[in-house]
This record gives sequence, C-alpha cells and structure tokens, in this order.
Amino acid sequence: MPSLAPGGCSQHRTDSLLRLGLNPDKWDILVALAGNPNVGKSTVFNALTGLRQHTGNWPGKTIVRAEGAFAYENKRLKIVDLPGTYSLQAGSADEEVARDFILFGRPDVTVVVVDATRLERNLNLVLQILDITDRVVVYLNLVDEARRHGVAVDPQRLEQRLGVPVVSGVAREKVGIDDLLAAAYRVARGRQTTRPYRVERLTGSVEETVAALARTVADSFPSVPNARWVALRLLNADDAVVAAVRSGELGQLGGARPAEQDAPPPPQGARDQVLETARRLRWELPADFHDTLTERIFVAAREIAAAVGMQGLKRARFDIDRTMDRLLTNRWLGFPLMLAVLAVVFWLTIEGANVPSSMLAALLIEGVHPWLHGLGAAAGFPWWLSGFLFDGVYLATAWVVAVMLPPMAIFFPLFTLLEDFGYLPRVAFNLDALFRASGAHGKQALTMCMGFGCNAAGVVSTRVIDSPRERLIAIITNNFSLCNGRWPTQILIATIFIGALAPAHLAGVVSAAAVVGIALLGIITMFAVSWLLSRTVLRGEATSFSLELPPYRPPRVLQTLYTSIIDRTLIVLWRAVVFAVPAGAVIWLVSNIEVGGASLAQHGVAWLDPFGLLIGLNGVILLAYVVAIPANEIVIPTVLMLTVLTANVAGAGSGAGVMFELDSIEATGGLLRAGGWTLLTAVNLMLFSLLHNPCSTTIYTIYKETRSPGWTTLSALMPVAIGLTVCFLVTQVWRLVAA
Amino acid sequence: MAAFAILCLLLAALLWPERGLLPRWLQILRLSERVRLEDALKHVFACRQAGQACSVDSLAGHLAVSSGEAAALMSRLAGMGLMRMESDGPVLTQEGARSAVRIVRIHRLWERYLADRTGVPARKWHDQAERMEHALSMEQADALDARLGRPVWDPHGDPIPDAAGGMPPAPGIGLAAATPGRAVEIVHLEDEPPEVYDALLNDGLDLGGRLEIVERSDRGIRVRSGGREWTLDPIAARNVNVRELPPDAADDRPWTTLRDVRPGETARVVEISHACQGPQRRRLLDLGVVRGAEIVPELVSAAGDPVAYSIQGALIALRRQQAAWIRVESDGAGTAPEVA
Repeated sequence: MPSLAPGGCSQHRTDSLLRLGLNPDKWDILVALAGNPNVGKSTVFNALTGLRQHTGNWPGKTIVRAEGAFAYENKRLKIVDLPGTYSLQAGSADEEVARDFILFGRPDVTVVVVDATRLERNLNLVLQILDITDRVVVYLNLVDEARRHGVAVDPQRLEQRLGVPVVSGVAREKVGIDDLLAAAYRVARGRQTTRPYRVERLTGSVEETVAALARTVADSFPSVPNARWVALRLLNADDAVVAAVRSGELGQLGGARPAEQDAPPPPQGARDQVLETARRLRWELPADFHDTLTERIFVAAREIAAAVGMQGLKRARFDIDRTMDRLLTNRWLGFPLMLAVLAVVFWLTIEGANVPSSMLAALLIEGVHPWLHGLGAAAGFPWWLSGFLFDGVYLATAWVVAVMLPPMAIFFPLFTLLEDFGYLPRVAFNLDALFRASGAHGKQALTMCMGFGCNAAGVVSTRVIDSPRERLIAIITNNFSLCNGRWPTQILIATIFIGALAPAHLAGVVSAAAVVGIALLGIITMFAVSWLLSRTVLRGEATSFSLELPPYRPPRVLQTLYTSIIDRTLIVLWRAVVFAVPAGAVIWLVSNIEVGGASLAQHGVAWLDPFGLLIGLNGVILLAYVVAIPANEIVIPTVLMLTVLTANVAGAGSGAGVMFELDSIEATGGLLRAGGWTLLTAVNLMLFSLLHNPCSTTIYTIYKETRSPGWTTLSALMPVAIGLTVCFLVTQVWRLVAA
Repeated sequence: MAAFAILCLLLAALLWPERGLLPRWLQILRLSERVRLEDALKHVFACRQAGQACSVDSLAGHLAVSSGEAAALMSRLAGMGLMRMESDGPVLTQEGARSAVRIVRIHRLWERYLADRTGVPARKWHDQAERMEHALSMEQADALDARLGRPVWDPHGDPIPDAAGGMPPAPGIGLAAATPGRAVEIVHLEDEPPEVYDALLNDGLDLGGRLEIVERSDRGIRVRSGGREWTLDPIAARNVNVRELPPDAADDRPWTTLRDVRPGETARVVEISHACQGPQRRRLLDLGVVRGAEIVPELVSAAGDPVAYSIQGALIALRRQQAAWIRVESDGAGTAPEVA
C-alpha cells in the first residue's frame, strides 16, 4: 500500500514537483485534470474546488495552469487543471505542459474529462494518457447533451474496455461529481487497481525495431511499467524522455509503485546503451512512422467508441446550431451581423461608461482630492509633501481609475458573454481570409477587438492563437487598436478642432467621423504591419492554422460578470495603477523642481519644442507622452497642465504639477489655442495618439507574454517610429499645400 | 523638405537590392575566404562519398573560380591538416571529414527547417541552406535540431548527420534500377543541379510520393502516378532514388483533395501530402485527419475560405491550402448516409 503521508513521496519526485512550481508539503494527494479543449474541464475543476475559475467556450483557454485545493476524507487534495489538448505528442507549448506534468509530476491520479458527444475524438487523448500512467479515472461529461443527440454511452462497458474507472455525469449540474471524487480517491490511494488499455502493436519490421528498443529499455529499467511507450518516445527523439533516461530519473516515472521509486538508477553504461540503440534504430524507421502511430491510436479509439454504443458520430450537432451557423457565416448576412454586434458592444461601452465615469471623477477628483489637501493642511504637511502625494501620486491614480474602470467593467463582460456563447470563434472564421492575406491568424480579429478595450488585455488574449508566428504578429500589432484610454483624447480633440470646421448642425457627425476614421486607420495600419512582419522579421517563425468552432452553449451571465471583472478588469486596472503611481510622482516633480529659474518641465518643453514643431506637434505634447507613458488616460490632463505652465495662461489650472480638465470644451479649446495649437497640431495629435508606443502596462504585458526583450523593444519602438514619420510627412505636405 | 529628400536618397543608396551598400557588403561577406574553404571541404567530401574523381579542376568548376585559386584553396586546407594529396587526388583527413560532416549537418538541418516551419518554396531551400551552413554555430545547430524534433532525414531524403557525426548512406536504389511494373516510393530527390531539380518538381514528384514504372527505354523511364503517365528523361531519372513496394501496393486511384469535396459529401482520408510536414502535419493528425477518417465539409465562411469540416465529431475550420494537402476518396454523391 502506498504511503501517503505529506512529503511521503521520493526525493526525486519532490525535486521534479518543485521544478514544476508545486510544494508537495501542502497536500496529501495530487490530482491532475486533463482533457480535450472545450469539454467542460474547467467546470469540473470548479465543481470539485468551488473556486470560480473562468471557463471560456474557447479551445485552448487554460494556458496558465490553474490550481485548487480541497479536503476529502480528512485528506488534503491538490488539483491541477492542465491545458486542454488534443494529444500529448508535445507539438505545442500546451501539450508539452500537460505531458510533462503527467510524466514528471507523477500525480497520484489523473482525471481525464471526456465529452460524451465526441467520445471517439476524446478517446485519442485518453489512450495516450493510459500509455503514460495507469492511475487514471475517466469522467464522461455532458451525457445530457449526448442524450439529446440521441447518443447513449454505456459507462460500464467503457470501463471494461479502458480498464480504468469511468464515471458519467453532467459537471454543470454537479451530477456525478461525488462519484468521480470517490473513484479518484480510490485510485489515488491504491484501493482500486487498474488494467489500462494499451494500443496494439505495429506490424512488420517497424514492430521489430520498436520491440527491440523496448527490450533494451526493460533490461536497463526493470521498474518502468511501460517500456514500449518509452521506446516509442525515444524513437521520436522526445528530448524530455531522452533526458530522463540519461539522468536515470526514468526509473521513477510513469506508474512506478512507490516501493520502487527510490530504487537506484541503472548504471551509466546501461543508460548510454539505451540511448545509443535508440539513435541507431531511428535510421531504420520509415518516414511515416509518426503518422502510423497516430493512426493506430485513432483506430483503437474508433473501435472502442463503436463497442460502447457509439458509432463514429458524424454529425454531433444540434439542428439549431446548424441554423445559427448558416446564418452567422452566411455570405451576405455574416459581415453585417458581425458589424452590428460590434457596434452595439462599442455603443454600450462608450455610452454606458459616461455616467459612472463622471460620477467617479466627481467623487475622486472633485471630492476626495480637496479633502486630502484639507487633511494634509490639518496635519501640517509642508506644501511640497501634500503636492507630491495628493497632486502627483493620488491625482494620477484617481484619473486612471475614473477613466479606465467603467468602460472596462462594461466592455469585458460583454465580450466574455459573446465568447462563452461561442460567437467569437465564428467571427474569427469569417474574417480569417482577410487576416490570412496579411500573414496573420483569423483569431487576431478577436485580440484586435479586445485591444479596443485595452491593449494589455488584448495582448493577453493572444494566447488563444496557438501558432507562434501568428501570435507574435497579433501581440506586436495589438497597439494599433485604439484603446479605451485613447478614445476620450480623440473625441475631445476632434470636437474642438475638426467639428469646428463644419457648420454647427453637422459638427457632431464630422467629429465622430474623424474619430472613426482614426480607428479605421489603426486597423489598416495593423493589417499593413502584419503583412510586413510576416514577410520580413517573422518569415522564419513557425506557422500552423487550426480553428475549432465549438457548439453554442448558453452563457452563464452572472458567473461571467463576476469572473470577467475579477479576471480581466481588476487585474488590468491594478497593473495600470501600479504604473500610474510613479508617473504621477514624476509629473509633479518635473513641474515643481526648478533649475536655473525654470522647472524641469519648462526646460524639457523648450528642448523638445523645435523637434515637436518640425513634426507638427509641440514640446508640450511630446513631453506629455514621455511622462504619461504609464497610461494614455492622463495624457490630456498632463497636456493641459503643461500648457498652462509653459504658456503662462492666467486663470486656468490649479498650479504646477496638478493635472486638470476643464468642464467646458470651449474653454479647453481656448486654452489649447492659447498654447499655440492649430488644426495641424490637432490632426497630428490624433495621429500620434494612435501611432505611438504602447503604455507601460502593455509593454510590461508584452514582455510577460513573449519573454523576449527583442520583441518587446520592437513592439514599443516601431509604433513611435511610424507615428513620428507619419506626423512629419503630414506636416511637410500640409505646409507645402498651405504655402 | 530637403532633409527628407536627402534621407530618402541615403536610404536608397544603402538598401537598394543588389546595388545598395548593404547587399554588396553581404555579397562580399558571402564570398569570404572561410566560406570558400568550407565549400571546398564539402566538395571533396561529396566526391569521395559518391565515389567520384576529385581534382583541382573539379573544385574550380564547382566553385566557379580559376584553377589557380582552387589549387591555393587546396594547399591551405592541406596546411590546416584537413586534407592530404594522394595519387588519385585529394583525401580528407579524419579532422577534415569531421568538419565536412558538421557543415553537411547544418545544411540539411536548415533545409529541414525551411521545409517544415516556413513557407519558403522547395526550389529556394538549397541556396538558403548554402548560406546558413557557414553562419550557424554548432550550438545553434543543436538547438535547431531539438526544436525540429531531431529529424533523421532532410526534405530531399538525405540523412542528416547526428551531433556525433554518424550518418547512414543515402537510401534506396536509382529509379533506373527499379523493376518495370513495380510500384515504388520516392525516397530521395537530388537537389543539384537546380535545373534538373526544378524539372522534377514541375513533374509533380515529391518525397514519399508513389510511382509505377511502366517501361524502361533509351529515351527515359515511363512512369505512372495518380492516373497520369509521362516519361522522365535519363538525366532526371538519375536524380531520383526509390524503394520498391510490395507487389500489391500499386495505388492508382485518381487524386481528389479535401478542397474539391462539396459541402454535405463525405470524404474518406487517403493520406496527407508529403509537402505538409512538421507542426502542420502533426496538428492535422492530432485533429483526427488520419487514414480512413471520415470528413464532411459543413460550413463555408462568409469570405469563402476557410471551410469548417466535421472531423471526428468536432467542427474544425481548415484553410483551402491545408485542405489541398489532404488526399481523400469521396462518394461524390452529395448524399452522405446519416450514421445513427
């Protein structure tokens, strides 16, 4: 009987678990949760742990491993939700994560979630997992949906065929979860022995090659339960398995019984012998070796699925699904419907955010800010301390929160609802042709839309793109989506300068058209840059396309609201606040530290002015973009404050380093004109607001997602270079035409 | 304005294709001494492998340099201890052979990389690999090897030497040596000279493809594949190596690809084209595109491409280019029998 005291595992296992980021002292039983994408794996996870982990109707959602803990029969269970994968051949990062965890983390039991409506496809993964470990429990999910399709799967017969416990249920309604837990517990504690199904042998000389290597492996590592699997992986030159053989760790892997887990590794000579044999035998394999292996697993899956009451189900789709798909991807209706949906989402976001935004501004800026000053005065703070803390740090943070929070809290849940319902994959499907032409992936349509909400969130959302090259393109070009933080700038400047060109009754339409034009320019730039990237620096990166269209599922509104606010809105907001605090401090300091009779800001503006004017902007704008890099939201307040500071406009603003906005648009316009702004400045500012470096939150996110300083630098600098060039050209042409 | 014009001119002078400073500089770099030495080493190695005569003249011809320069290259190699002259021409020393295998390894790995991971067309693989073989370090080559899943063969069917330098001989028999009437599988396509390789590609030959030898004559070898018959001239045939298949393996069904299957028809997978390799092939296999699997086109996207297929119960969108890789048999009736 295996001992399951905390830390009762071997030193080797403890080491590999620590390497995987898990501390084995914290639990008694380790459970891994595996399954294909989109089978309700995360729902099972939530049902087991009670934690509300976000479950998206998206293939490939869970790329960051989710973990949870709970107690059962006085034992502490740790459960790890692995990325959803179709296979364990370690072709993609997801598959590698899942495979490495099952192989090296050696969970006490692996629960494989299987979609009963697509048993055949799902068994492919189950059979691959059974090759690695025999401590497996299969959870047959969505049996209700299957029944509605007229498909009944017999769990008992499936259990007989697979040789591991099978529990059927409906995770969404928590049906069968108790049984699943009991079965997993039995297998983990070794109270139920399993006899896992193993895929049949190959034929002819290939089988001889594999068998020969398997014998060598079995001789060197007698404790390995499935030498054949190891042989196959070695013949596939699986680096992780090769390394495990070389180090001798292999002896403790797979379903090895704990008694054998601390057996000494075989001598170096024997291990080298295995690797040498594998190396030699690889020359003898036919070119289609890998194809044949995959095929045999599918053949076995088909045969098992047929035997347990399911034929190869060709059309596991509801009629209503078909009708919806026909409608949403229709040649004539597809695009108009899509535009309508997006327009509604944006309208709800912009209109809906107005009221809470001004309420927050009233509270945080007009209410709390003076109150803090009062508090500072009462406590006897010197002017510079309350200035630094309240006008600098606090005000920047308050501004970011007031402008950023409401639109995000509306946009993200709406987007998530569409995602959970299953509509977004259809959008990607419809738009793929457009993106393919520029060397990108159809799913970039979605990350781009997400970028309209927030570029940092857009960059994170590129995780749904599973091909490395296309994902990089999506990350680098996300900044060309005009984000929430930039919409107010665009609308304000367009209203003041461009709307004023038109007759009064058309002013609103004209300025709105100008803003939409800028957003469209962003989309065009995105396509152009994607095209360029895919033909230059990214030409050599790996590419592969696949897009699964999951069945439509009714979204769960309340849960979506809860999780999308937690998952997306608050995380992004937190990062923005973290970056806004030092920016507020810097803005206040440069405006108040004086050198040689002028503040640093005035020096900076004077120094940047010649270059600014050359490209049709001015020193104030450039300095504002430098110091307000953490958040686009504070660019306009900073510009106004700096304008007052440097142009010596009387009667506006609240002092050096205190950001402000004016209630009346006319007054703002007057102030800007007093600062020397012309129509050209306004046009260039609108262009530059679209085409400049991402905010520091986004840059940081890009670094976290790519883990590459090079790509991060490119993503940060390329848009600025484009922006400066465009502004310069526009200015030269403008002056030429005007003169 | 003037500043802008000057900037444009400067950029043009720097980057203009072939005549700009940067391309010229790259050209000079390519022809540097080391590159020529490595090329010479490779030439001698290849000649000896193929059992052909090797001399100063053959080297001069191969590198397109004068015989004087070729002789100078050889004596430098000899001076470096990589080569010695014998009665039948130059022979590589052990050290020389090791260096040559290293270059061959990088060359073939890079070809594999181009074939598997990029959209670079087959006729450009060799030239690009010729450049990369001098540019990559051994460590970089090992990293590439690992990333590619430690491939055994390059995309022309030549073995890729492993890190230790081991390498079996090129596989198969010449097309001319195959028995008439037998079905054969192409296991090697020589990529030099490029003109002949181009002709082979234009004939639709690819690695792993199947042919049936109809007859052999002085004018060439008559072959049949996919319902088409044509004659390969003797020179082209000499660049093709094949493996004879068991007598019952003849497969002359007409080529239909998934791309040609209309919505609602049921297609059964015959094979994935050998032009589709690497992660793309693995992804298709993992999605369930394996021999015998049934696929039904269900849904055409609003723009016409991609198309969503029902594969093993899931709805998977594939682009036209991917669908063209998948060879299928189709009932063509458009009335797929519903499976209960």
